[in-house]
Amino acid sequence: MQAVILAAGEGKRLRPLTKNRPKALIPVANNPIIDYPIQALLDCGIRDIIIVVGYRKEHVIRHLNRCDAPIEVVEQKQQLGTGDALRCAASLIREEFLVLPGDNIIDAPSISRIMAVQNSVLVKEHPHPSNFGVVMMDKEGVSCIIEKPEHAPSFTVSTGIYHLTPDFLPHLTENSLTDAVNGMIAKGGHLGVVMAEEWHDAVYPWDLLALNRKILRDISPLKSGSIDRTAVIRGPVRIGKGATISPFTVITGPAIIGNDAEIGSHCTIGPFVSIGDRVRVEPFTLLEHSLLMEDSAIGSHSRVTEAVIGEGSSFGDHTTVEPGVPLMEIEGTLMRGRFGCVVGDRVRADPLCIFQGALVGNDVRIRGGKMITGFDAFQDGVMVV
Amino acid sequence: MCGIFGYTGGSRAATIVLEGLRKIEYRGYDSFGIAALGDTIRVSKRQGRIPEEGFDTWDLAGTVAIGHTRWATHGIPDDKNAHPHRDCTGKIAVVHNGIIENYAALKRDLIGRGHIFSSDTDTEIIAHLLEEAYEGDLLAAIQAVLPTLEGSYAILTLAEGDARIVAARSRSPLVLGIGDNTMFAASDMTPILEYTRRMIVLEDGDVATLTPAVVEIFHAGRRAERNEEFVQWSFEDVRKGGFRHFMLKEIFDQPAVFSDAIRALRKEELPGVVRDAGKVTIVACGTSYHAALVFKYLLEEQCRVPARVEIASEFRYFPPPPEGLVIGISQSGETADTIMALQLAKLRACPTLAIVNGVGSSLTRIADASLLMHAGPEISVAATKSFIAELAVFFHLVDIMKQGAWGHQLDSAHRAIEEALLLDLGPAVTCCRDAQNLFFVGRGAFYPIALEGALKMKEISYIHAEGYAAGEIKHGPFALLSPETPVVAICAPGETYGVMVSNIREMKARGTPLIILGEKDDRDLQEIADIFIPLPSAESIAGLLSATVILQLLAYHTADALGRNIDRPRNLAKSVTVE
Repeated sequence: MQAVILAAGEGKRLRPLTKNRPKALIPVANNPIIDYPIQALLDCGIRDIIIVVGYRKEHVIRHLNRCDAPIEVVEQKQQLGTGDALRCAASLIREEFLVLPGDNIIDAPSISRIMAVQNSVLVKEHPHPSNFGVVMMDKEGVSCIIEKPEHAPSFTVSTGIYHLTPDFLPHLTENSLTDAVNGMIAKGGHLGVVMAEEWHDAVYPWDLLALNRKILRDISPLKSGSIDRTAVIRGPVRIGKGATISPFTVITGPAIIGNDAEIGSHCTIGPFVSIGDRVRVEPFTLLEHSLLMEDSAIGSHSRVTEAVIGEGSSFGDHTTVEPGVPLMEIEGTLMRGRFGCVVGDRVRADPLCIFQGALVGNDVRIRGGKMITGFDAFQDGVMVV
Repeated sequence: MCGIFGYTGGSRAATIVLEGLRKIEYRGYDSFGIAALGDTIRVSKRQGRIPEEGFDTWDLAGTVAIGHTRWATHGIPDDKNAHPHRDCTGKIAVVHNGIIENYAALKRDLIGRGHIFSSDTDTEIIAHLLEEAYEGDLLAAIQAVLPTLEGSYAILTLAEGDARIVAARSRSPLVLGIGDNTMFAASDMTPILEYTRRMIVLEDGDVATLTPAVVEIFHAGRRAERNEEFVQWSFEDVRKGGFRHFMLKEIFDQPAVFSDAIRALRKEELPGVVRDAGKVTIVACGTSYHAALVFKYLLEEQCRVPARVEIASEFRYFPPPPEGLVIGISQSGETADTIMALQLAKLRACPTLAIVNGVGSSLTRIADASLLMHAGPEISVAATKSFIAELAVFFHLVDIMKQGAWGHQLDSAHRAIEEALLLDLGPAVTCCRDAQNLFFVGRGAFYPIALEGALKMKEISYIHAEGYAAGEIKHGPFALLSPETPVVAICAPGETYGVMVSNIREMKARGTPLIILGEKDDRDLQEIADIFIPLPSAESIAGLLSATVILQLLAYHTADALGRNIDRPRNLAKSVTVE
């Protein structure tokens, strides 16, 4: 069995985080999202993996080079759609195969279920089906898949994971994989349905917090680095090589702390916190339900809840991040999401700022004492004074 | 990183293993060795690269053999530390890729039990542990020994009296290849692809036995089934892991190289010769020479230490001042001119320091002390990551002389490289691609960066490119400027900024297309420039690094657009071992 992972797309709805990396490389619990489908495939014994790259391809390839598994990479020159992406890999497909999105999280049991049913789609019930392809069924199997309908007729959505045979490839005349699948059904082809166990997708940037919680729930504890004997560590906590945990800091699992990270004294970290490599958290800071990417920093005496903080960003002392429920317009749709902040890469905020439901772009500079909510600082490179 | 390769089949095993090792030499090339099993086990190992000819496998009889090519990170690469390693009796041979973390404790125990060690490596303990456990069944012995090992390993073993190769892996790569009555085992598919495309990738904790006809795999003591795959790639692809060229791979490795180098250097003690240095002379060639020039600027400006930089081949005409430190810098550590220069310095009783990427290379044996640049093997002829690693070493030295004042900047400097990798250089590449001549200009520490940018452009795109100090343009080269000679100018904020801008304006008046690297919010430069490339960071260290990376990428993409052979430019060799 072969597997084709589609990781060429940017994921525009996740901006600002996808400005500098494709959605598949956004880290969740310190591993890029793409690692989870790869691991699920390896766990199911699939070794012949092809990954289609496009947007920021060098970064994806560099990441894949660090993985142990041998992976074949093909390039999609222009990001025309998932069907076109699969077409790029067509010449390498020799036998029945799975197609998976590289930017969703999937578990091994779901993969092994769909492996058993040829010509099928993996589906899952979802409370907001309009963001996905809604699967319509009749007695035979799937009758059609409707991509992102405004009024969804059912809660069953496609995970984008298919089990197909090389016979499907001639149907790839459309740029969208869903259209190609519908075309195959229209011509009398059969598509069965398999229910997924655990499947998660981040549609909007704040969904990463839920994704982070999901993954952290299953981590196993590991203690490396230097941990002061007065530090208290409860529950499943992974601490990376070279990390420093200073005196009187309390870490409540599940939480993960990356290599060479520095956690100051008297901090309270967790639950559900992912801290990337080389992150610095200064003394007397409280962090919970947050995701801090590599090289970011949080000043002392801060209180940070439900925050996603991009690579190399830093917050000054006495920063407050607290959940808000702003009204947002993303790629033309209005919606509400509950989160503290989602901050792009290399943002610098001076001391005493307050973030409440704020979506902050990349390279933004925020002067001290500002209150940021909603789209106040969404544009890349702006200065908020 | 090291590479291992094993073969069992009908042919002369040692010859096949030697060929295989050549293909995985990119995983390490500072020593190699082969053990072949005939009536007895015979081992031949040697320091250095695998020679094109002259390494005789004649006395390595037998149809079963294992080999190793080493990239030393601990313990110098010499004949005795080269793999394969044997036990006290010489009847068991082991090659290993990885690190046994608890080897010190195990080694003490083994010495206590009377074992005699002949090397400083962690690997040798495996051979001695096997010796104790071996009773005619190598598989049983391996299964008894593995639980005592902590760390990462991919190992291949041979024993007299057992015709099999026994392999095991945990957290280091190991692939098996299934041929026509032959079997292979290797760190990656590269050496196997020539013989077969049927592969098995072992999983962590697997133990496998190989005979020419059968592979048997065991996991946790029980037989396990692993799927066989049919691989279709060429070995060039495997090595580059998806990148089109090694050069691009190495450019993208640079953020990690820089931050790893800084971390590794901080853990090492600074050689005494550096701490006591009053005057410094640096000798180097090519790219290393440019890194040394950056160091000179920093030393003189930041630390007030008099420094001079000499091209190694010219050094003999400039005897170093007595008692001044002489630093020789070379990626391979084998550059003939740099070696000569350090020998000359030693004759004059100067203290010497070598800065190299190859552990235990010739240069380190000549010098009083040495520092490692921690760049990992560099394959592309055009040096990229070794330049960044050399800068890391120099920045670290300056940081120490400044009592750690740069510590914070160094911690975050790799981010600037990462950001430079994200820039779109399309318009600049189009401009350079069509040019016959190019000028690269900069001032201050950016002058050597301009030199390096020009060198990269020459090396791989074959476009005639000149690096100049911006002020020197007026003294001659100005006559060459025309709308057909684009100029690449680095114009970062700082004391050189004002005069640099006026230099640029003068060039603009000649109608030359200007590609300017400047601070991203600089409106003036954006107006003057035909093509403006924003430097992700303009702070001193980060600015130097990001400008370097941008110019590397500019050269790479230009060469790529011209269809040049990027990893093997014409007429050039990776290390120049002749004068």
